Amino acid sequence: MIDIGANFVSELYKSLGMFIPETVLVVTFVVAIIMDLIFRKYKNIAAFTVLAGFFVTGYTLFACNSSGYAFSQTIAINPFSQFFKFIILLTSIIIVIISFLSKELYAENRKVGEYYSMIAGMTFGMFLICSSTNLILIYLALETMSLSSYVLAGYTKEVKRSSEASLKYVIFGAISSGIMIYGISIIFGLTGSFDLLAINAKIATGNLSIAPLLVSGIMILAGIGYKISAAPFHFWTPDVYEGAPITITAYLSVASKAAGFAVLIRFVLLAFATPISQTQPVWQVFAGIDWKLVLAILSVLTMTLGNLSAIWQTNIKRLLAYSSIAHAGYMLMGLVIMTSAGVLAILVYFFMYMLMNLGAFYIVMLIANKTGSEEMDDYIGIGYRAPILAGCMVVFLLSLTGIPPTAGFIGKLYLFMAVIDARWIWLAVIGVLNSVVSLFYYVKVMRNMFIRGTDKTEEPLQFSRVSIVIALILAGANIYFGLWFEPIVRWVNECVKSLF
Amino acid sequence: MLTDFGIILIFFIVGMVFVAAGLITNMILRPSHPNKVKQSTYECGEEAIGSPWILFNARFYLIALAFLIFEVELLLLFPWAVVFKELGWFAFIAMLIFAFILLLGLFYDWAKGYLDWDKPEPIIPKMKDLVIWNKD
Amino acid sequence: MNEIPQGYYLLLAGVLFTIGTIGVLTRRNAIIIFMSIELMLNSVNLTLVAFSSFFGDSSGQIFVFFVMAIAAAEAAVGLAIVLALFRLKKTIYVDEANILKY
Repeated sequence: MIDIGANFVSELYKSLGMFIPETVLVVTFVVAIIMDLIFRKYKNIAAFTVLAGFFVTGYTLFACNSSGYAFSQTIAINPFSQFFKFIILLTSIIIVIISFLSKELYAENRKVGEYYSMIAGMTFGMFLICSSTNLILIYLALETMSLSSYVLAGYTKEVKRSSEASLKYVIFGAISSGIMIYGISIIFGLTGSFDLLAINAKIATGNLSIAPLLVSGIMILAGIGYKISAAPFHFWTPDVYEGAPITITAYLSVASKAAGFAVLIRFVLLAFATPISQTQPVWQVFAGIDWKLVLAILSVLTMTLGNLSAIWQTNIKRLLAYSSIAHAGYMLMGLVIMTSAGVLAILVYFFMYMLMNLGAFYIVMLIANKTGSEEMDDYIGIGYRAPILAGCMVVFLLSLTGIPPTAGFIGKLYLFMAVIDARWIWLAVIGVLNSVVSLFYYVKVMRNMFIRGTDKTEEPLQFSRVSIVIALILAGANIYFGLWFEPIVRWVNECVKSLF
Repeated sequence: MLTDFGIILIFFIVGMVFVAAGLITNMILRPSHPNKVKQSTYECGEEAIGSPWILFNARFYLIALAFLIFEVELLLLFPWAVVFKELGWFAFIAMLIFAFILLLGLFYDWAKGYLDWDKPEPIIPKMKDLVIWNKD
Repeated sequence: MNEIPQGYYLLLAGVLFTIGTIGVLTRRNAIIIFMSIELMLNSVNLTLVAFSSFFGDSSGQIFVFFVMAIAAAEAAVGLAIVLALFRLKKTIYVDEANILKY
């Protein structure tokens, strides 16, 4: 029982001090809406407000790096959550910047105030997810994020496929969150608590019956798996990614996946496993349920399905959607082995994945701005019509495949090393085979751009200088972090330590 | 000894008997002289036009949605009211912020015109349309 | 006075949840799908309240408040999206929303 009174209030004030980045985001969201209502003449006023808010958030994120629990142990502020918050914030900033260049978004003199304020709201939801250690808060944060993302996916509402995508998204999302809270309610019935640490303590006693625990665990995994688009819960991904505006597709594929992984790692490791000892960086799953096997099956299914379906795609957005499913599969491998090396690999991989995936979607957006098409066949000859952007695209695609010296290679290297170290050889073999398959469809895009249809002489595409500079920065980052990756690994190492 | 189920059963039976008894007493006591006017839907002289099974204007949904949100969010005031006395000013200010954000939502709806019923443009009669017979 | 056994509440909730899930999977009308989802959420609420009163712990009931608020928000967003699609396609049947395909 929490004692209520002066003591409780002073505790709340202390918690609010640790909650500054989130508070700033909420204020940003509210101010962006007010600005949009007051200054109707300036179209992008909300965008600039949100961008300024994001920079303030970033500053506070690094300025108050105290770690600990806040709000009666429902929120954990530690380097692990800071890392994911950083990834999410960086993605949000990049998305807001590249949204300025999107033709699709600004078509037909559309009002974009809500678009940017919704991004701020979604960022707030994802920030909450990253640090929540209580099932109530996890559900609330997941819904805060989802509700904004449903609206964003259907933002270009007079485009049929966008509305349709968002309808599918909202229906699948509502079902999976319904299943998830049913799982939460069963766990509450078994353990009498929503707090992950208390649940862990209850499970550790070993007095609970296994079957309901397994069922509820899988139900909650369904809700989280939906967010990271893991295999049996991935049906929405290709449709939504194809239908949504490209900027939002990129946002969903990176930021909401990051939030999903943050909560997945926290949930599995905090509720169902325990560190063997302080010195040994390995988690042990409680007897009874083989979570490692469950996750391994999920991982194999996810990457195989993603890669095999990607081969047949003719729409590049759909192709990248399936490829992002496959990448979720790779990252799940890091969680299967439940070692600190595995978690470290996931975090490193995510940083690299952010760079390459955002880049690839950005190029697709720029080309769609000019040609108005996202079909693979319309990429024929792009290599000669827009050589710089096509060159950047090649870097991103190589990075997605995992070929040195790109960032993607480092991510895959750490991941496979961790898996092999933990003696999950068969999993590593399947992972490598999948990477080989993925090479096939990424090369198909490159072949369309450069080798096929060279006899076509269409006039070159003109791009603004700013858009080319952004593409070059992203491509440069891909190569830079492929060569100088130690700072990232060192930083991530600190983050993983805080999980113990 | 009554179980909880027994109580529910009694509630159930009493409820049914109450309704049935009312209807049956009515049926016995009332005079029965049906005629056409009496059996029409509105007895106040207004004749019903068309079927009630028509599609409603989508505008109803928008108003209903706005209402739904504001009504249900007020649900969160309940746990707040329980601990309000102990927490004092902190809780009061927290709830003010919550109410402000809700209010902002309402203003947003208002400013964007979602609360307006979209009326058809009024057709203002012009003089030349009203003149039936023109001299030339 | 004998109490209603705990299991009965859970059984009812389980049955409601199943009905909701089946409704979601088999119905084509988007509005009815959202009604089925509400049914699922309400069965969760029932489970939570049952456990909460069983443990004498109010946190389950607090969660119910949040679930209700979220359910309303979700229904509102869902219906708004259905409306947007209805304006374009003049249908609320989800299997007629079929531009995006494998």
